[in-house]
Amino acid sequence: MGNVMYAYITHPDTAPEFREPPTFDPLVGFANGRKERTIQASREELDKANIPLDRRDYCVDFYLKFLRCRQQNFPRVVSGCHHEKHDYDQCGYEDFVLRMKEYEREKRLMERAKRIAAKNATEELGD
Amino acid sequence: MATLRGAVALSKALRPFMRKHGLSTTAVLTNWNKDWKPGPFPQTAEERAAAAKRYGLRVEDYDVYDNDGMGYGDYPKLPFASGDSRDPYEDWDIPELKRNFGEPLHALADIIGEDRWDANAKPRYSYLNMFLTLGAVLGTLATIYYLTLPYPLFLPAMPKQYPLNNLHLERGGQPEDAVAVKHYTFEPVD
Repeated sequence: MGNVMYAYITHPDTAPEFREPPTFDPLVGFANGRKERTIQASREELDKANIPLDRRDYCVDFYLKFLRCRQQNFPRVVSGCHHEKHDYDQCGYEDFVLRMKEYEREKRLMERAKRIAAKNATEELGD
Repeated sequence: MATLRGAVALSKALRPFMRKHGLSTTAVLTNWNKDWKPGPFPQTAEERAAAAKRYGLRVEDYDVYDNDGMGYGDYPKLPFASGDSRDPYEDWDIPELKRNFGEPLHALADIIGEDRWDANAKPRYSYLNMFLTLGAVLGTLATIYYLTLPYPLFLPAMPKQYPLNNLHLERGGQPEDAVAVKHYTFEPVD
């Protein structure tokens, strides 16, 4: 609830829009740049495996491994694929953590931009 | 063949009985619904007295529904008293229905039984009060709902990222409209 208080009551001007992607340059503050997120599977592979669109995220490689494991271990699709399932779940968790980090980064950059704007305004008044 | 012979024998055996009574004098005919239908609206005092006698009522107790096309003929207009308003300690002939033998039934007896609706109930609060209270509660909830519609609760997270230019082609986009979308982790490049 803290983020809701922040977004609607205490700091509505610096609250990121959670429905939209980040607005700042993703490389701000990273001197050497950031690692890019990639997937190993190609579009053709995903189409061949008939992966639904909501599963075609950055964890789709783990999902493909999990499906392959289920196929190879049939009918022990649960007991034979604990590790693959855990890897896929862990990837989903880390994906959400990354989204929360992006939100926090956006929020701090908005606050920074506001600080800089306020500083510039006081300097202009002083001149 | 044996069955046919049996049927013939049975009809022969029944023939004297059928000749004497006939099919039309069975119990069905004397208890058919037309016998329970009320008579025509009583116009004269004699007709009223005859109708009251027919329904087992005294003439001064006998009242009748208006003959406006929606009435019940000479069926008596009884007090609209449901089972709940009848004395539970009286020695009724039929205690389950709080009813005596031969007692005329109300025209709407099926909806004012104790298992249905208490027509004489005196509610603690008036029906207007109940209606307005319900409306106030639901209205308050609806008002809160509509006032807070622009302020959804959300988790502090950005929208989910998808590979392949946010699934541009998969979501029905044209290849010439594709914009390269790059997503990054928080690990710096060495």
